[in-house]
Amino acid sequence: MQIIEVNKLGKNFGAGRAHVRALADVSFAVEEGRFVTLVGPSGCGKSTLLQILAGLIAATSGEARIDGERIRAPMPDKIGMVFQDPTLLPWKTALANVEFPLDLRGVDRAVRRKRCLALLDLVGLREFADNYPHELSGGMRQRVAIARGLAQDPRLILMDEPFAALDEQTRTRMGHDLLEIWERTRKTVFFITHSLAEAIYLSDMVLVMSPRPGRIIDTIAIDFPRPRDIDIIGSEAFGQIRNRIWHRIAQAQA
Amino acid sequence: MGAALAGYLIFAVALFGGWELAARLAVADAELLPPVATVAAILWRFMHDPAFLGDLELTAAEVAVGFLIAAPLAVSTGFLLGERLHLAETFNPIVHFILAVPQSIFLPVFILAFGIGFLEKVLFGVTHAYFVIVVNSFAAVRSIPPPLIAAARVFGATRAQIYTRIYLPAMLPLVLTGLRLGMVLCIIGVLLAEMYASRHGIGRLIFTWGEGYQVPELLAGIVLVSILTVAVNEAMRLAELRAGRFYARVSAA
Repeated sequence: MQIIEVNKLGKNFGAGRAHVRALADVSFAVEEGRFVTLVGPSGCGKSTLLQILAGLIAATSGEARIDGERIRAPMPDKIGMVFQDPTLLPWKTALANVEFPLDLRGVDRAVRRKRCLALLDLVGLREFADNYPHELSGGMRQRVAIARGLAQDPRLILMDEPFAALDEQTRTRMGHDLLEIWERTRKTVFFITHSLAEAIYLSDMVLVMSPRPGRIIDTIAIDFPRPRDIDIIGSEAFGQIRNRIWHRIAQAQA
Repeated sequence: MGAALAGYLIFAVALFGGWELAARLAVADAELLPPVATVAAILWRFMHDPAFLGDLELTAAEVAVGFLIAAPLAVSTGFLLGERLHLAETFNPIVHFILAVPQSIFLPVFILAFGIGFLEKVLFGVTHAYFVIVVNSFAAVRSIPPPLIAAARVFGATRAQIYTRIYLPAMLPLVLTGLRLGMVLCIIGVLLAEMYASRHGIGRLIFTWGEGYQVPELLAGIVLVSILTVAVNEAMRLAELRAGRFYARVSAA
């Protein structure tokens, strides 16, 4: 079952001299239940692609489908999303932020409370349920955002460089914890990053995107057994995959 | 909060203590600087004088009506300009242009256009309050981080929900700042109009006492207006701090 199908997708911004081709002829598919990462240099159009999948902007050409349905608008019942900034509402507690998507749909208070407390538990923040975002660290805020992305029990989670703003230590830790959460929920994750190591460590499959206009220039299956240990990052096999991606991007840039 | 309260207390003690001391030492002529007790006694008498209370009520009504007209108009203007940036490009320079001109110079025009009375006072209060509230409401709209809105859309928020659930709470602190400043300016506008040309109102009384060399009454009026305006300002500032408490760890000023 393919939950994401992208076919000859193109996206242009602006007109005349300011015309920018962000994406050109992007095609790929993602199997349900997999952890797939799109990796590419900054400004290659990764985020544009994600915004199209999220239904926030329209493609110029081609088509994208989620669960067989063509994307025209956000699909809150199918897609959860985690942004680069946690985008939590500052005036709501951690719990109320996780509840927000359910609150919007009018889900009963007791039901959403129970469900969202369980999600905060899943991301290890149950005791911070009543704290406001400004009382939490950057990593904790992003955990709340992950819990919020899971709130509507979507089949697909889009993640837009969610750990890019965190320090190296926290970032590694968060990647590790995300895998644990993923093992337990088995949602399809479509993850975006410019970090090659992060992409390889997390994923079942890595899609490599060229510099602008973004195209998929390589697709690599990652077979490291799960649950994964952080030590694989130092292994020879890991280094070979990293070099392969690095060379593919460098070739495309030349 | 406690430190601020202590600050107010120190200020009040220094002001009234210094005043009393200066009066006793006869630094200035007793005609010009009556002791605190004399002024306090007059203030007490005023509070039981129906004529005085009538003037006070009139001024309060002019301020209230002016503010209640200006606030919704100005917040909607600021909101509209914040949402429609091509309008903002045209109108923001005008708003800032008008803000820079001292509005007091237009008072004679207001009197020519609207006569001397309740309406003229109210309208002068409205124009004083309007622009500063517009500027702050505009800034409030622009202060909403676009990713917050994108996130709400992805989670299925309708347009109405984006306005009520994101815009409203996100704009609140800055809008309240605008409303507070607008209130201060509205009071200034009304009092100015009363002092310049009026038959009633606290502004008129203060002006008359000044002209008539009735210093104790004049000082009593000044003290009363000061206390009332500070109270209004502080009440609105408290609301502002409450609304903004999620944004800053330390509440500076």
